Amino acid sequence: MSETVTSQKLDERTSFKSFVKTHIFDLTAYAGLAVMLVLFLIFNSGPRLMYNFSAVVQAAAVYSILALGAVFIYSMGFMDVSLGQQVGVYVILMILIGNKIGGPGGVVVGFLVSLALALACGAINGAVSIFLGLPSIVTSLFLMFFFTGAQYLMMESTGENTIKLIQNVKPADRNTYTLMLIGIIILLAIIGNYFFNYTKLGKYTRAIGANKVAAKQSGISLVKWQVLGYMALGFCAAVASFVMLTRTGTAGKGTGSGYAMDIMICLILGGMPLKGGMKSKISCALVGAFTYTLLSNVLTTMGVPLNWVNFVKACIFLLIVLLTCRKPNGVLPR
Amino acid sequence: MEKEPIIEVRHMVKNFGPTRALRDVDVSFYRGEIRGLVGENGSGKSTITSIVAGMQKATSGEMFYKGEPWNPASMVDAQLHGISMVLQEANTIPNCTVAENIFAGRFNEFAKANSFLSMKKVNAAAQKLLDSFGLQRIKATDNINQYGFEDRKLIEIVRCVSDETEVFVVDETTTALSHEGRQILYKLIHRLKDENKSVIFISHDMDEILEQCTDLTVLRDGEIKGHLNRAEMDEPDSVKKIRFLMVGREIGDAYYREDYDSSHLPEVALKLDHVSFGPIKDFSLELHKGEIIGFGGLSGCGMHEIGRAAFGLEKLSEGKVTCGDREIKSCLDAIENGIGYISKNRDTEALILEGSIAENIVLPSVNALSHGTFVSPKAEKQLADGEIENFRIKCNSGKQWVNTLSGGNKQKVSFSKWTAKKSDVLIMDCPTRGVDIGVKQFMYHVIDEMKKQGKSIILISEELAELIGMADKILIMKDFEVTHEFKRDPKLSETDIIEYMI
Repeated sequence: MSETVTSQKLDERTSFKSFVKTHIFDLTAYAGLAVMLVLFLIFNSGPRLMYNFSAVVQAAAVYSILALGAVFIYSMGFMDVSLGQQVGVYVILMILIGNKIGGPGGVVVGFLVSLALALACGAINGAVSIFLGLPSIVTSLFLMFFFTGAQYLMMESTGENTIKLIQNVKPADRNTYTLMLIGIIILLAIIGNYFFNYTKLGKYTRAIGANKVAAKQSGISLVKWQVLGYMALGFCAAVASFVMLTRTGTAGKGTGSGYAMDIMICLILGGMPLKGGMKSKISCALVGAFTYTLLSNVLTTMGVPLNWVNFVKACIFLLIVLLTCRKPNGVLPR
Repeated sequence: MEKEPIIEVRHMVKNFGPTRALRDVDVSFYRGEIRGLVGENGSGKSTITSIVAGMQKATSGEMFYKGEPWNPASMVDAQLHGISMVLQEANTIPNCTVAENIFAGRFNEFAKANSFLSMKKVNAAAQKLLDSFGLQRIKATDNINQYGFEDRKLIEIVRCVSDETEVFVVDETTTALSHEGRQILYKLIHRLKDENKSVIFISHDMDEILEQCTDLTVLRDGEIKGHLNRAEMDEPDSVKKIRFLMVGREIGDAYYREDYDSSHLPEVALKLDHVSFGPIKDFSLELHKGEIIGFGGLSGCGMHEIGRAAFGLEKLSEGKVTCGDREIKSCLDAIENGIGYISKNRDTEALILEGSIAENIVLPSVNALSHGTFVSPKAEKQLADGEIENFRIKCNSGKQWVNTLSGGNKQKVSFSKWTAKKSDVLIMDCPTRGVDIGVKQFMYHVIDEMKKQGKSIILISEELAELIGMADKILIMKDFEVTHEFKRDPKLSETDIIEYMI
């Protein structure tokens, strides 16, 4: 009798341990988000709460949309360091085209041009690295320099430090705008979830990240799905650029700067395995984006100077990288 | 005189989540013996030895080594205390020299007062060791990538056996070795036995177990089911008895195909037409519907490369591979045309180890399961569960990760990917490697059924008995050329074939 009880206890303990071991990334990510939420509620009370909630949603919207797209390439074990510069160029393009044509139609044309460019860049990013056998980071480095140059040239051509969209694309009411952003995030999260979990795109990108050779020998075209994964990111980059434009209505030489690294941190905070593979989850994008935005907000609300905010973020990032790299297979993206 | 155990395992339990790999196991290993450990895939053989050798920890229970409590921190710790283990899978460090692999972690022995490391001394010592194992052809200064899987396995053996080794664990290593490699290993384990050391020998090859071991322990479902001493192993019905202990039921005599009808349908399913690539020159082959063509030979004879070329994995310099009217230029073409391939390199090429059993099984079939863009999780589950049941894959559910399975169960997953896909042509490169007797019998039955359904099979194997037992036609290769062709014949024996291999 006592032996049975001991054996049951042992089973419960080991299955709990095994659950924790299997879901350690998810548990840590959700715990991080919960802690940030609690701190946010502690440091924001009264009327400031709603205002800051709206600010968090506005900032998190861009991160969430970019991270939703980035999940498709991170799940393959890749990364894109050109993301920030791409966003900068797309926002500038939307403003320039929007102002040139004028009216809401101008903004739509600007968005469509940016979308076409983003999809083309995704295709180049995915195809070139596989055809030339280069690590994806090398191709995206090339694109990063290319877009940095393009951003400077476009801004130089205007003769201004900052350009502004003449047409107003933001609802006048702050709450309506917040609700609109929440709607966009939910819609894209549903679409992202569908493509990541219920279509070949998500299944194949995860398989490529887990074992490229086995994926290929199981009939997966590496070129096709790598390109499509990058194009999914391109689509999200264009949408995120539009959301950013609705928020700021302006752009400059520094627009988008630092977004590539921010997205990487978001995904890591969201529990995304850096090497990609079958453990990759679409939820990492949202959990990470909101944790990261709440972290910035809480640190600022606590009165931490801006330079120190970046320092704290750097420390957290370093800590996570150290923890994941200590795992036998936890390597940084290729 | 009562023999003194060198290792004692008491009440050992090992759980992997809800899976109980070992259930209250008591076993002792003695000096001067070669103890065989046999059992079906997932019976717990490797789990016991891996815990003894410090690779993983037991959930509960205790161990004693030379009479003292034993709880190694790691495999390195165990090796430093005299317990070494050679694993089934590759365990060498790529892009390093042979010498660096042999002395990895022990460079201090070659550095004066922890200062400069003398690679000259490292290389010389490594070469001396290799020579002492009869491996003069392997050069210590060569990059290990130059050597094939078999040679790297031998280098691993050289690395882990030293004068201080008291217990040597061989975990299904011989399946990876050529005839020469096996002889070297057999010589080594008998030398260790004669030196009053202990050898634990895990294998699925019953002939090998009966020839090499002095004692035998049989496991089933994480429990010890019986022990046999040498005299019991020599009894005429010992194999039957061992099989019964392993499986828990009578296996029966039907193992390989029982018919000697080598007829097939007239249509050609796969054709290699004057194919040349690498060292293979002007190779041609016609595989018909309902035909099993076997390929045999020593390691490095070129048979594995033929399998890869037939699946579109080799870049051809001349000739072409066709399936019906379609030319096969890549593995994507091959799969689209109903060709499947079970790679010999299971862990690196065939399986996603950090993925679930279900994800692995359905991967080649995802296209077929799609309706528009939607891939139904229900259809995926049905397909995977069906294969898990057919192949009797030991797991809690299809969600269990492949890297938690035993070698044989992994092989079942690798096989079931293509039965799930309902491939018409299946290229099998060592499909029964590391698989237990019960599963082998099942796999042979599946191959036989596939032939009867008009499917075509290329069976590449290092086991001649398997080729004789299953193939309609056997092509023996040597130095990248076919040296002889044998038709299916009840009189055909391994001795008839071997002379064309060497």
